[in-house]
Amino acid sequence: MSHTTAIAGHNTDEFRDLVLDGQRRIEWVSRQSPVLNGLVRRMMSDGSLKGARIAVVVHLEAKTAFLAQILADAGADVIVAGSNPRTTNGAVVAALRDRGMTVVAEPDGDMASWEKELLAAADHAPDYIIDDGAELTLRMALHRPDLYKRLKGVSEETTTGTARLYAMSAAGKLPFPALTANNARCKHLFDNRYGTGQTTLQAILRLTNRQIAGARMVVIGYGYVGRGIAEYAKAMGAKTAVVENDPVRALEAHMDGHIVAPAAQALKHAQFVIAATGGMRAVGAPEFAHLPHDVILANAGHHDLEVDVETLAQMASNMSEARPQITTYRLGQRDIHVLSGGALVNIAGGSGHPVEIMDLTFAVQGIGAYHLVNGNLMPGVHVLPKALDDAIAAAKLASMGIVLDQTRPEQQDDFVNLINRIPE
Amino acid sequence: MTARFSDRDMAGKGAATIAWARRGMPLLDVTEARLVGSGALKGLRVGISLVLEPKTANLALALRNAGATVTVTASAGSIADASVIPALEAEGIAVFATPDGSSDEDLRQTRAFLATAPQILIDDGAQVTRLAHKECPDLVAQMIGATEETTSGVRPLTAMHADGQLRLPVVSVNGSRLKYLFDNVYGTGQSCVMALLDVTNLQLAGRKVLVVGYGFVGSGVARHARALGAQVVVAELDPIKALQAFHDGHTVCSVAEAAPTAEVVFASTGIEGVVTAAHVEALPDGAILCTAGGGEYELPMDYLASLAPPSVVRQHVEEYRTAQGRRIRLVAKGACVNCLAGEGNPIEIMDLSLSLQACAVELLAARAGQMEPGIHPIPESVEKSLALERLRLAGASVEPLTDALSAALRKW
Repeated sequence: MSHTTAIAGHNTDEFRDLVLDGQRRIEWVSRQSPVLNGLVRRMMSDGSLKGARIAVVVHLEAKTAFLAQILADAGADVIVAGSNPRTTNGAVVAALRDRGMTVVAEPDGDMASWEKELLAAADHAPDYIIDDGAELTLRMALHRPDLYKRLKGVSEETTTGTARLYAMSAAGKLPFPALTANNARCKHLFDNRYGTGQTTLQAILRLTNRQIAGARMVVIGYGYVGRGIAEYAKAMGAKTAVVENDPVRALEAHMDGHIVAPAAQALKHAQFVIAATGGMRAVGAPEFAHLPHDVILANAGHHDLEVDVETLAQMASNMSEARPQITTYRLGQRDIHVLSGGALVNIAGGSGHPVEIMDLTFAVQGIGAYHLVNGNLMPGVHVLPKALDDAIAAAKLASMGIVLDQTRPEQQDDFVNLINRIPE
Repeated sequence: MTARFSDRDMAGKGAATIAWARRGMPLLDVTEARLVGSGALKGLRVGISLVLEPKTANLALALRNAGATVTVTASAGSIADASVIPALEAEGIAVFATPDGSSDEDLRQTRAFLATAPQILIDDGAQVTRLAHKECPDLVAQMIGATEETTSGVRPLTAMHADGQLRLPVVSVNGSRLKYLFDNVYGTGQSCVMALLDVTNLQLAGRKVLVVGYGFVGSGVARHARALGAQVVVAELDPIKALQAFHDGHTVCSVAEAAPTAEVVFASTGIEGVVTAAHVEALPDGAILCTAGGGEYELPMDYLASLAPPSVVRQHVEEYRTAQGRRIRLVAKGACVNCLAGEGNPIEIMDLSLSLQACAVELLAARAGQMEPGIHPIPESVEKSLALERLRLAGASVEPLTDALSAALRKW
C-alpha cells in the first residue's frame, strides 16, 4: 500500500523538482571531493565491497548522500538513515531514492519517527554500519540482539560515538571490530576543528543577524570542536572565554589567548554560549542560574541535550518562537534564547560542514569501510592505520598541487648509528 | 476575511523580527529614552526613507515613541522584509511601500509619502530629497532639513549644493567616523564573507582569496577571510592603502599577478571594470567571482555574457566555461554578495548608524531655521558620546582625561 503511494509520488512534478534539487546538491559536493573521487573510488574498484550490505547513518544531507553513492557505485548494497531527526534533507532523500537506494529517513521528523527509522535500518540486517554517535549500533545492540551479533563491523564518525564504542568494548559487549573514524588524524584535526568551527559561527550569525566583532562568547569545552570555534571567533574580533574541566586543555586555552574561568564566572557576562563538549547537559540547571538576560545558547555537539532544553522548559515561565529556529525561554526577569532547539546548530541551522572537509572525513569513513571488509580485524575498537590516514592527506595535498619534500638519510638523528654500539 | 487573517499573521511575524532586532540595539534604547525625556521631537513630522527591514523599523518606533509623527517609505522601493509593513501599520505608523512594486508604483508611493509633508526627512541615497526638490518646492521651503545615510547619496547632494540647487541643510550620517569605521569594515566585511560561505558551503581555511580594493569594505572582507584561515591577496590602486594592506600581513600585488592562483575573488572597489576579461581567463578552474559592497559593474559582465549560457550549479551560483574550458562560478549574478546574507548588516552595526540618525534628527530639530542649506557633519561631541555609551553598555570604558594629561597634551 505505502509502496504504491511512493511510486505514484515519484511521478509528480513536485517529486521530480525535489530529485533535481537533490541531484544538484550532490553534484556540487562531487565537484569539491577530489579524494573521494580519486583515491577512494580507486581503492574500492577492486570489487571487494560488492554485495556488502552497508548502513550509512550520518546526518542525511548532500555530503552524506555522496558517500552513500560512492559505496553504491563500488557495488555495496547501501541503506541510508539519518543520525538526527532535524538534519535530514528532503531533496537529498528524493535524489537517493530516485537512483534506487534504500532510504529509511524522512525530513521534518521527530524523536519518535527517528527511532522507527533507525529500527527500520536495523531490520535491513546490515553487515557494516557507517555510524554517527553509534546511534544505530547502540539500538541494534539493545533492540535487535540477533542482528547485532551478525554485524561484521562499524565505522564511527564522532567523539561521542567513539566513547560509546570504547565503553561497549570494555564491557565485553562489542563482538565485532569497530573503527573510530573520529580518531583518524584526517578526521578530528580538520572536521572537528575547521569544519565545525567555521560553520557553527556561520549558522549562529545567520540565524541571529548578530555581529561577532566585540561579542562576548563563551565556549564550553576545549576539545577540537571547541578549539576551532574559539579560534575563529577570536580571530573575527569576539571576546572569547573557555570553560573546561581538563587542566591540560584549559592551560592550552589560556595560552591560545582565551579567558579561562569556571562557568559561574564566565557565563555572567556572556552574549553567546556555545556548548562543544560532545557530552550531555554541559549547560544545565546550575549553569542557567548564571546566564544574563538576552544570552544566546547554541550547541555544537552531538547531543540535543548538551544544552539541557528539557530542564530549561520546565524552569521557564514562558516559551516562545522569537524567530525561525530561535526559542526564547523566560526565566524570572531573564530571556534565554536557544538556537535550533538545542540540536547541533551548524547542521540543523545551517548547511553543515564545508564540502572540502567532508571530502576528508568521508574518505576516512569510506576507506574505513573498505578496511573493515578487507583488514581481518579482531573485535574491539581500532583506529585507521597510519598509512591509510597519510594516504588520504597526501591525496588531498596532491589535488591542490602541493608537493612535499622527502626526509634525506643524513637528516636522521646520528644516534641511530650509536645505538648499535651500546654494549649488550 | 482570510486576507485579514494572513495580514495579522504577517504583522505578528514582523513584530517578532522587529522585537528580536531591538534586543541588539541598546544604543537606540538609550537614545530613545533621552529623546522621550527631552521632548525635543514632540509633534514633529519625521519621514523615513530607508531599506524596509526590522532594524530601520525600530528607528521608526523609537522616533514615534519620542513624540514624533512618523511616516515611512522604502528607499528606491527596497523592501528586505515585507512583514515589517503590517507590523508598523499595526503600531499606527503610516507606511508607503508596495512589496515587489513596479518602479511606477514605487514612485507613486514616494509621492504619497511626500504628501504627508515631513518636516525632517531621513534619506538613503538622497532619493526622496532629490524628488522633493524637483516636484515639491513648496514642501522643501517648509522643511527643517534632511539626513543622509550613504556615500551614494552624499555625492549627488554635494553636486546639487555646488550648483546652488540644494535648499535644505542635510546632516551626513555617512560622514561620521562612527558609521564608516564600523559599518563597512565589521558589518559588510562579516556579512560578505559569511554570505559567500553560506551560499557555497565551502571552506575558507587554506583558500587563496583575492580582495580587489582595500578601502573600508575590502579591508573588512580581508580581515574576516583571514580570520577564517584564508591566504589573502590584496590588489589596490592607491599605494598608501596597498602599503597598509602589506602591513596588515596580506600579500599585495596586481589582479593580473594574483589571478592564476586566486580561488575566490571579491571585488570591493565600487569602480567599474576593475576585473577584466583577461583576468577572468587567467583564473584557475573552479574559481569563484563575487562583489562585496558594490555591484556587478566591477566584473566583466559583457565578457561573461559572450560565453555559453551558464549552468546553475547551486542556488545563487552560476557556472561559466571559458574558452580554455575552465569553470568560473559567479555568485549572485555579480550583485553584492552581502545582499544574499538575507538580513544585511548585523544588528549591532545598524544600532550605531540608526542611533546616529536619531541624533541627526535631534540636531536638526534643535537648530531648526538656523542651519544653512548644505552638507553638515555630525558634531564630534555627538559621535563621541554615542561611542562612549556603546562602550559603557559593553562594560568597557575610556581613559579619563586628568588635568595632568590635559596639560601634557597642550605642552610644546
